[in-house]
Amino acid sequence: MARGLAHLSDEALVALVARADEDALAELYDRFNRVAYGLALRIVRDPSLAEDAVQDAFLAVWRSAARFVAERAKASTWILTLVHRRAVDLVRREQPRRAEPLESAPQQAGEDTEEEAWRRLRRARVQEALKRLPDKQREALELAYYGGFTQSELADRLGEPLGTIKSRMFSGLANLRDLLAEGDIEREQWKEPRSTS
Amino acid sequence: MERTEIHELSAAYALDALGPDELAEFEAHLAHCTECREHVAAFQETVAELAYDVEAPAPSPALRNRVLADARREQPKVVAMPRRRWAFPVAAAAAFAAGCVALGLAFWASDLANQLDEERTAVHLADEIIVALTDPNADRIPLEGADGILVVDDESSEGWMLVNGLDQAPDGKTYEAWVIEDGEAVPAGLFTGGDSRTVVPLTVPVSEGAIVAVTVEEAGGVQQPTQDPIFASEQAA
Repeated sequence: MARGLAHLSDEALVALVARADEDALAELYDRFNRVAYGLALRIVRDPSLAEDAVQDAFLAVWRSAARFVAERAKASTWILTLVHRRAVDLVRREQPRRAEPLESAPQQAGEDTEEEAWRRLRRARVQEALKRLPDKQREALELAYYGGFTQSELADRLGEPLGTIKSRMFSGLANLRDLLAEGDIEREQWKEPRSTS
Repeated sequence: MERTEIHELSAAYALDALGPDELAEFEAHLAHCTECREHVAAFQETVAELAYDVEAPAPSPALRNRVLADARREQPKVVAMPRRRWAFPVAAAAAFAAGCVALGLAFWASDLANQLDEERTAVHLADEIIVALTDPNADRIPLEGADGILVVDDESSEGWMLVNGLDQAPDGKTYEAWVIEDGEAVPAGLFTGGDSRTVVPLTVPVSEGAIVAVTVEEAGGVQQPTQDPIFASEQAA
């Protein structure tokens, strides 16, 4: 659907959304609904709440697209930040805290589309980077990001001083950023050989 | 909080791992710390990659329709009106404003962040403000006559106004924003107030030297102001 827009970058689509282009919103949804929903579901652990978080995030995309500035952030970062914020809000408000947020959701065979393949590639890249992080840094990042714990809750849970947790999250993210940069992949490069076939 | 310590919070902020009080404090800090805004932007990009380490079933097909129905329900406000001469001296706005005290941005942002935690139903408002506060290229210009700020993007000249505690416009009336430059007022959007926080995206760019003023007009708005402004910004840098 909205196929005429498939060649546009995410950022170009956001620019169209800023001009109230519904097809552009549909195309963004088609590109990001899987990863957005997967993220929200991992945090809130309830399909209906996860869908609410995604719906809310895309409404925010629609409303505030004009404020998005492509030179300063990737559209994907912006959208996933919106999804995460909503999912965390929901889980803090509506659910007792999950005891085991580190478990992976069950693997599902996705449909064999280019989007699916792209997500798998990025997943492998971030998993590889996480594997190379010091255990304690990885633990802090995962509990905060997927578990929705605040830094104070993390300090309690891990029995560490708050200052230690803050430093661990800071170093963890700085290290993760460097590790991801090493394995950087550009989508356009990746698509190049496929587009000629 | 020590300087180095609060800088470290840019990581927790990007991870959405700050509690309400810490969030308020850090957002107040972000409003005037370029370095932290840059850290936050970089960390948010790193953090977003973590979203890909999740495998899950697709959402229900109905969700797509819900998302698109939401968008359709919200008609964008398109304003394209001719420029008119400003109907009253701009000096009147300044004179009116002189008696009023604008609160400092830091206090405002901190207070705002506290409120936002209680007002999660208005989540889109929070996003607008977070964008404003974290935009390293934005100018923040005080309002005179109201508690709030005008935020203007340096590159695009896009602006929006954040106003605190604005009463709802009377029945049959609307607030109307104006961008005033060289004595000419251009309509820049309608809003009704009544929320504890009002965010007004301006529909026309705010050039250097322009001011933004707000009048109360008949519902539906007018093409040139008929009333004196109730509040106005200082000149945009």
